Amino acid sequence: MNNLVIAPFALPLATALLCLFAGRVAVWRRWVVGTSAFVQLLVAVVLVFQVVGQTPLVVVMGGWTAPLGVALVVDGLAGLMLCLSALVAFVCILFSYLELQVEDEQPMRLPLMQLLGAGINLTFITGDLFNLFVAFEIMLVASYALLTLEANDRHIKEAFPYLTVNMFASSIFLMTAGLAYAVFGTLNLAQISERAAAMEGEFSVLLVMLLLMVVFGIKAGVFPLYYWLPNSYPILPYSLAALYCGMLTKVGVYVLLRMLCTVFPHSLERVHIVLALLAGATMVMAALGAISRNFIRGILSFQHVSQIGYMILAIGLFTPMAITACVFYVIHHIIVKSSLFLMGGIAYFRSGTDYLERMGGLWKISPLLGCLFLLQAFSLSGIPPLSGFWGKYIVISESLDKGYFWLASAALLASLLTMVSMMKIWLKAYWSKAHEEQGPTVSPNAIRGMTLIAAVMVFFSLCIGLNAEFFLNIAQTAANGLMDQSIYRESVLQTLGKGGNP
Amino acid sequence: MAYDTALLVGVMFTVATYLILQKNFIRILFGFIIFTNAGNLFLLSISGAPRHRRMPILEEGRPVSDYVDPLPQALVLTAIVIGLGLTVYLIMLLYRVILDSKTIDTEKLFQPEEGDE
Repeated sequence: MNNLVIAPFALPLATALLCLFAGRVAVWRRWVVGTSAFVQLLVAVVLVFQVVGQTPLVVVMGGWTAPLGVALVVDGLAGLMLCLSALVAFVCILFSYLELQVEDEQPMRLPLMQLLGAGINLTFITGDLFNLFVAFEIMLVASYALLTLEANDRHIKEAFPYLTVNMFASSIFLMTAGLAYAVFGTLNLAQISERAAAMEGEFSVLLVMLLLMVVFGIKAGVFPLYYWLPNSYPILPYSLAALYCGMLTKVGVYVLLRMLCTVFPHSLERVHIVLALLAGATMVMAALGAISRNFIRGILSFQHVSQIGYMILAIGLFTPMAITACVFYVIHHIIVKSSLFLMGGIAYFRSGTDYLERMGGLWKISPLLGCLFLLQAFSLSGIPPLSGFWGKYIVISESLDKGYFWLASAALLASLLTMVSMMKIWLKAYWSKAHEEQGPTVSPNAIRGMTLIAAVMVFFSLCIGLNAEFFLNIAQTAANGLMDQSIYRESVLQTLGKGGNP
Repeated sequence: MAYDTALLVGVMFTVATYLILQKNFIRILFGFIIFTNAGNLFLLSISGAPRHRRMPILEEGRPVSDYVDPLPQALVLTAIVIGLGLTVYLIMLLYRVILDSKTIDTEKLFQPEEGDE
């Protein structure tokens, strides 16, 4: 039964390969990918039920013991992330079917989306630092290719900063993995955590963690090095932008959580403070950037970076409650942000343009879309009782408890600025008068389908907001599993000790 | 071994950083190639000096310290392959950017054009 652990990686990979060999685009290929995405979602749900509040599932690949073998571990947080990534991938794939006619679809788009999913899922389940690097590369290579696949001549240059910044981070990650092997003598995360605990307070441990912080800070889009993100995401088609914003940067947040909570000793306070300060800067700077943009995808991408700041701030505060809030925020944000991108897509397809100056009158054309958009906009900026409020509330009250008044006010300010940029979209695209040259670019049925998909996502997000206690409990269980290093360590080392045969 | 490798890696990083900070993106490309290779060399140096040590094929009755540590070498093989793929991709991307924008200067490339909003 434990072999199910490999499925979130193996299934998308197999689907991608199948699609590659299938050649031309056809309707049956869409069915295969759609079914596979649905099965992935089911597998992830099954895994979540097996791991939340229980011991992690561990599988050692090929039966080799560490340090030779690679362990795959699914604990509470990894299970939740797998579930969310499968959900977002499924929704985005359905949305992309409506976005384009079968004959207009790029033949490489679906296989690359599956490959991206495989990379993302492998980063969640891997228990080995070098394997994490490989998973990151699978994910990034697929994301580079998807970014440039459908970009036009004017936009293709934006891929260049994306590529260089991420390649730079990958090189540093590779060296950090090497350094970790030199310092700890192993790459297995559980063994590293054991040895790092024994070496607590030594400079080399701090150095490895600082380097990891730089690497995953870049990937997550934290303050000084976020500029590649809000300029490159807008060149993606909407369904892909939703997938990128939903999952790609969350991988950075996830790995930071994993490293700081489960692998490295909790006494690295200097790292925590640096993270918290950078998070404050990220929130405010990116929220200001969002106001400066004049097209929907640009605004949403900048807001996305600003929201990452809240999660990083929660990690930087590093109290059990803050980590719970971080996990809750990740759950909320993945759903809200991807649904906002999907709704931006619907607005785009209805008016045929992305630029706010040329949009308008959407409220009259479709009040339902307006309501959905308002709900998510309020949720993102944190108005009670919607899902964004709870995460923000805990983060701010924890930072006040710790005496970081500046960070708490930065968080409040960023939330206000988010609201302002949301209202910019609302006033220009929904509330103002319609322009004459507007016209939908896809069929009415497709728009109805897209609205249905967005409505389902909004429904999920409402469920999270109105059932906050239930979701906070899940987040707390996952956070406890993260913070209590012995659970993770023992379950992995036990399996390794038995030569990989559980 | 440790000192000369450290020196070489250091020089390579210096050159790579200098090149990456240039405006001409052909130079940035070469900077990246050197940067990835400096990283690979650093990773390889983790396995220790090969002097007086044997290749990692186990023989009866020999202590483990007689062999070179094979793990960093396995890692560096993976890293070289990934680095090669990325470099090829970067070259193709830059080739397309050159075809589209007719410039190799990043400053000119990112200047707002007529019709940009």
